[in-house]
Amino acid sequence: MKTYYVYILILMFTIITGCNASKKETILCAGSTTVLPVVSDAAEQFTLNHRDVAVIVNAGGSGVGINLLGEQKIHIGMISRNISQEEIEKYPDVHFITHSIGKDAVVPVVSSEIYDAGIIALTIEQIAKIYKGGITNWKEVGGPDKEILAVDKEISRGTRHVFMEIVLGNKEAEAPGADLVLGSNNEEQVAIAQSNAAIGMLSHAWINDDVKGLSIILANGERVDPTLQNIINGKFPITRNLLLITNGEPQGKIREFIGFIKSPDGQKIVEQAGYVSLYR
Amino acid sequence: MSAYTGKIGNGYIIISTFASMGIILLILCVLFFNSFAAIRDVGWSLFTLTWNPPHAQFGILPMFYGSLAVTVISLVIAVPLGIFTAIFTSEILHPGYRFSVKAFLELLAGIPSIIYGLIGVAFFSVWVGELFHLQSGRTIFTAAVLLSIMILPTIITLCDDAIHRVPQKYREAAKGLGLCKHEVIISSVLPIAKPDIIGAVVLALGRALGETMAVMLVIGSIDKIPAPFYNLLAPGQTITSKLGREITGSAFGSLHFSAMIFMGIMLLVIVLALTLIAQYFSKSGQRLYE
Repeated sequence: MKTYYVYILILMFTIITGCNASKKETILCAGSTTVLPVVSDAAEQFTLNHRDVAVIVNAGGSGVGINLLGEQKIHIGMISRNISQEEIEKYPDVHFITHSIGKDAVVPVVSSEIYDAGIIALTIEQIAKIYKGGITNWKEVGGPDKEILAVDKEISRGTRHVFMEIVLGNKEAEAPGADLVLGSNNEEQVAIAQSNAAIGMLSHAWINDDVKGLSIILANGERVDPTLQNIINGKFPITRNLLLITNGEPQGKIREFIGFIKSPDGQKIVEQAGYVSLYR
Repeated sequence: MSAYTGKIGNGYIIISTFASMGIILLILCVLFFNSFAAIRDVGWSLFTLTWNPPHAQFGILPMFYGSLAVTVISLVIAVPLGIFTAIFTSEILHPGYRFSVKAFLELLAGIPSIIYGLIGVAFFSVWVGELFHLQSGRTIFTAAVLLSIMILPTIITLCDDAIHRVPQKYREAAKGLGLCKHEVIISSVLPIAKPDIIGAVVLALGRALGETMAVMLVIGSIDKIPAPFYNLLAPGQTITSKLGREITGSAFGSLHFSAMIFMGIMLLVIVLALTLIAQYFSKSGQRLYE
């Protein structure tokens, strides 16, 4: 019988706390999976000091972030590319304001087997040819005799926009050489790690022992490694800003939250996530 | 009093019927109105091979092909397996064990599709890739095999019920003619249960066509018909996986969104057509045992 009362107590407690939660102000965020780890970590720390605020963070990709903000379904959109003119025209009622919270690079990555076999740097033209279907075997760029598995991303993804802008010259370019089309950075990372002959594009923070970042050989023959230093000094050619977008100037708690991410404490989170902070 | 309650009962049944019909009609209308922009602006170009929304190209044939290919292969794998399993559980297995074995098989139906998807993407697709020496195990074939496992419980349960419901007298009559057990099953039990078995297959087909999550994770999501077209060990795209991946990326009311809804209509049309075909063929076998 005693346990019975305990259960009722627990139930009442959850109901009461549930009621309290409904009084909280809720900030809804959605968009780029690149920005996601920063914002979700920041949300965790922010709500520690602001008990009356709940921050809900969802992924979906930069395009989704812009569309959802455009339809005024969220308060903060996370994007890892610039808003295009068409998108601004599509939502005339929404006044997009961007807040830069850090910097990142989109790095061409390969499976560790290919990296260990000697492919550690490619030129932009070679990568472009792989995605156009002109190069289909690693031996054509000096690697082992293996077919290339070119991994592409969904067309609404910010990482793809930035990558294709530099590599194929058009942010919405088709990639007829691609063999798989995947979504988030996580999904793409898994696919490249599972393969032993894959190439793909990932945000700098997703590079690890299974997916290795390639250096890029510039037109003048100089080799640029995908290091934080090269992203900071702007040498690495495929860099981008990590942005938050709001409808009009943010007010109240939303303003505080964005302010927190831009503050020194928030920028530490940006650096821990593997990106470049605003102060570097 | 009883006449009164009878009236209420009848009224309730009639209201339910019309409400259901209304809901179905509403779905069709909503789909049609929302896809009207695509039908008007894109027209016959919807039935081409290139899907590239930023360039206003909305060819749905690759997705159409993928859906059909995945469904057909999964049925080819699952239907014989399911029917033979059902024959075993209802005719050969000792009746005392029938329910426990069936309950175990039906457990498969209770596993959420995302779990199948996770197993598929983490293990199964890797095994397929290694087995066939592919660059990537995310292929139409992988998705089809995964789907066939997912639709098996539907086929087994319904076929088992259908076979079990065949009255004992037909078996006894067939045995009386001196037929062996397998001859009894083939020549008298299965033909009588045939309409219900076809019904089971149609239900399974509906599930296979509509499955999204598991397929989306393992199929590779590339909007191309493989070359040559019968090469099933290549990545592809189904209508549902395309919708699942892109519906959030398209703005409500845009041409892109409209074209996606049109794909939804196409899916509905496929299901309707296949159901009608199945009903046409199952008509010939009358339910003798009723």
